[in-house]
Amino acid sequence: MHCNYACGSSDHLLSRRSFLTAAGGALGLGLLTQPSLARVLNGQQKRVLVIDLHGGVSQLETWDPKPGTNTGGPFQAIPTSVPGIHISELLPHTARQMHRMALVRSLNTAEDDHGKGAIIMNTGRRQEPGLTYPHLGSACARLLGDESNPLPGYINITPHGTGGVSVADAAFLGPRFAPVSLDDGKAPQNIDRPADLTAAAEQTRQLLRLRASERFLRRRRTAQTEAYTQTYDQAVGLMQKKHLFNTANEPEKLRDRYGRHDFGRHCLLARRLLEGGATFVKVTHTNYDTHHENFDFHLEQLGEFDLPFATLLEDLALRGLLDTTLVIVQSEFGRTPNINHLYGRDHWSRAWSVALAGCGIKGGAVVGKTNANGTAVVDREVNAGHLFHTYFKALGLDPKKNFYVEQRPIPLADPKASAITEILA
Amino acid sequence: MSMSRTALLAGVLSLFLLPCSKAAAPAVRSEPLHVRIDRLIGIDQDFARYDAGLASDSEFLRRVHIDLAGYIPTSAQIRAFLADSAPDKRRRVIEQLLNSPEYARNMAQVFDVLLMERRPSRHVPQADWHEFLRQAFLNNRPWDEVVREILSGDGTDPKKRHRIKFFLERDSDPHLVSRDISRLLLGMNLQCAQCHDHPRIEDYRQEHYYGLFAFVSRMTAVQDKNKKLLLLSEKADGETTYQSVFDPKKITKTAVPRVPFGPALVEPLVDKAKLYVIAPAADVAAVPTFSRLARLAGAITQRDYLPFRRNLANRLWAHLMGRGLFEPFDNDHSANPPSHPEVLDLLAQELADNGFNIRAILRELALTKTYQRSSIPRPGTDAKQAPLYAIAVVKPLSPEQLAWSVMQATGLLESYRKAYGGKDPEGEAYRRLAPSAALFINAFANPPGQPQTFEPRTDQALLLANHPSLRSWLAPGSTLATRLNSLPLPTRVEELYLSVLGRLPDEEERKEATEFLTRQPKDIGDLAWALLTSPEFRFNH
Repeated sequence: MHCNYACGSSDHLLSRRSFLTAAGGALGLGLLTQPSLARVLNGQQKRVLVIDLHGGVSQLETWDPKPGTNTGGPFQAIPTSVPGIHISELLPHTARQMHRMALVRSLNTAEDDHGKGAIIMNTGRRQEPGLTYPHLGSACARLLGDESNPLPGYINITPHGTGGVSVADAAFLGPRFAPVSLDDGKAPQNIDRPADLTAAAEQTRQLLRLRASERFLRRRRTAQTEAYTQTYDQAVGLMQKKHLFNTANEPEKLRDRYGRHDFGRHCLLARRLLEGGATFVKVTHTNYDTHHENFDFHLEQLGEFDLPFATLLEDLALRGLLDTTLVIVQSEFGRTPNINHLYGRDHWSRAWSVALAGCGIKGGAVVGKTNANGTAVVDREVNAGHLFHTYFKALGLDPKKNFYVEQRPIPLADPKASAITEILA
Repeated sequence: MSMSRTALLAGVLSLFLLPCSKAAAPAVRSEPLHVRIDRLIGIDQDFARYDAGLASDSEFLRRVHIDLAGYIPTSAQIRAFLADSAPDKRRRVIEQLLNSPEYARNMAQVFDVLLMERRPSRHVPQADWHEFLRQAFLNNRPWDEVVREILSGDGTDPKKRHRIKFFLERDSDPHLVSRDISRLLLGMNLQCAQCHDHPRIEDYRQEHYYGLFAFVSRMTAVQDKNKKLLLLSEKADGETTYQSVFDPKKITKTAVPRVPFGPALVEPLVDKAKLYVIAPAADVAAVPTFSRLARLAGAITQRDYLPFRRNLANRLWAHLMGRGLFEPFDNDHSANPPSHPEVLDLLAQELADNGFNIRAILRELALTKTYQRSSIPRPGTDAKQAPLYAIAVVKPLSPEQLAWSVMQATGLLESYRKAYGGKDPEGEAYRRLAPSAALFINAFANPPGQPQTFEPRTDQALLLANHPSLRSWLAPGSTLATRLNSLPLPTRVEELYLSVLGRLPDEEERKEATEFLTRQPKDIGDLAWALLTSPEFRFNH
């Protein structure tokens, strides 16, 4: 047995208190104050929307079609709103939004396992024993979020997940930046005022609470007691924003356009939340793990994906939100160019694609290239580290800045990679 | 050659780990421990100026009840305590709590969370493990003996799976186990010394990590075919080699079983023909004639091995006092000296002298003025300038303490004890209310494998604000509301404050509550809720 060179340290170091102490030193460097300061200067809040096509969407049936080759499958490529860029015919509505989007067609994440692939795409790094990196959502909640915002910093809209809070995803950033999952797009748990409590009674009991808290805090105020009482103010704020979680408030026509099915509703919810001030929203669309009948499944799944997604992009743009919202369409990996005997495609991470749009992204840009039948990257190979550098740059953050875990600097993005400048606006 | 240098270094470094209580302040042996501790804590010349004085009786009772029994006292207990005029009533209540079944359950919970860090019980049922710990505290077994059992790694008896839980629930991963033994039992996080000497802590060397690692590196988990259980298997041979990633010469060293700063394990020569009691085979858990794993617990719990005692002393201190003598709890090293080194020495020495008697240590700590001091700063003084412990630390309730305090405040615990009395009212009430308590514990607990920290979140506030269960426990017709409403108004207000906050209301509070309840008698649950969600309830102070 041999030392595996896995330098880890984080687990006990995760204490938020020690993190804050360490990060306190970084205040002078402006890491913590920069986002809010930037927001004040620009009058802009930066936001992030991630569409996660869970299971591993096929790059050949989406962003990098290879029609007429031995790996291309039955679907054709269609022109888009950007001359010269073709994508799969399964995405006709999305094709009309291409001028708002950028494609990265040369992703090699070298990991064909669902769990590990998801970690790479969510944290921008390969899993290390001993050190867990925060998900992009937690990092953005931390870096772009606003203390006074009652909405959770990282909202995860899941199709039929468990709901609740996945504290571990925030890693050393601490549970406060953990994702709050909205099971089937339902509002956070316990957001409803108890049925037998009138609005007036609610106000009274909150006043009684403040009174009791104030009495105690008069002589025993600490950072911890302060943080605790604040959570009730945030809860009240969140309850007041409950309407944001209700897509039925939207015009019928728009609801139709997004689609009345789950993913359509979830996309519309995402827009409402982003418009309502959410920092990071992730929408999961599932069922892309097409080991058999890849083409039928993609026809069906992308048929569901295409219009809501295109509508969402357009809606964000029309409302003037797209310029400040980074949009990422990702999976844990792509699918094999080789078509197996069950007409399926298997896990494939060597040469696949992601699509980006919005904040800081150059519309209509394509970077990277795979070979004729898509079995290898031939130009501008990148990994998730490059993507994370690109995300942070697009959001106006310096990816080389550090989080501090007990004085140990943890760079925002993998220092071995760099931003894909070709697609940055 | 490198061995001798290594031994020398370890010798030098171990200096800081040696007890020096003899050289410490004028501690008189014949004096009780709590008196000696108070003298050492109060040694700062500014101490008297900031000394907050003793906490009130009700504050003391709430504090000690939470720390020793795991949740707040009942209003009846507080009234009885307040009415008691005997000068030794604090001592008596400490004694009574230490000998209660609640104490055993509470300490079992505390040490379960410490040792297992809420890792899911995939291989050894939580109930069995908890019961083992509970029995240990009920009978006040010497803690070194308990740890030797927990770390024995002996999985041959299917009824004693607590002996392998620590390993199995960590996937029998020798690295994870080495790290966690160093963090949780020795107070030294050696993880960063895995690939090189620790980059920031000079005392922690790679050889310390691999010394510990060598004890556990031969274990694997094996699915036993006959017993249909996951068991721990151990090989009789196999050495680990390692290099430092910082060493340009890439010198390869062999790991020798040796606890950090302790002596190397003396390994007997075993006849090659008799290496195993149970030989390795497919689907069989091997048992070597000489087990390194079995020697690990013995090595760390040796009477003259200090890190184990310092770690335990520090954690017991923190359990009562709200902060460690050194912090973080797994950073005991010479560049991070304890705030009160003599106190730590004294406690570590006491553990050796009293045979790892946790109940005795907690008794002495609870008897100190340090523990019984008020958390309210002396008027006219700036709390931020006060020496440590001149004012009691305001500490958050653990998820368990919070959950069970809610059960107590709402009267559920008492009513279940009465309803399901029998031979074991404490156990019955606990078992029946555990699912309700879990609602809060799950929402407030840190993720598995991570130490508990205090990070209040909005979803927790929403749970306490709007969850129908809590709402129903406070609503008209609930146990609490029914009891309170049967009382005349002045007593009703008193009982409400005693039940939730563990104290009588002051004049202002009496007046406001009376006015509110006169106007809106039905809404007593909302007033109870306001007290329950105030920081006064959320913290132990």
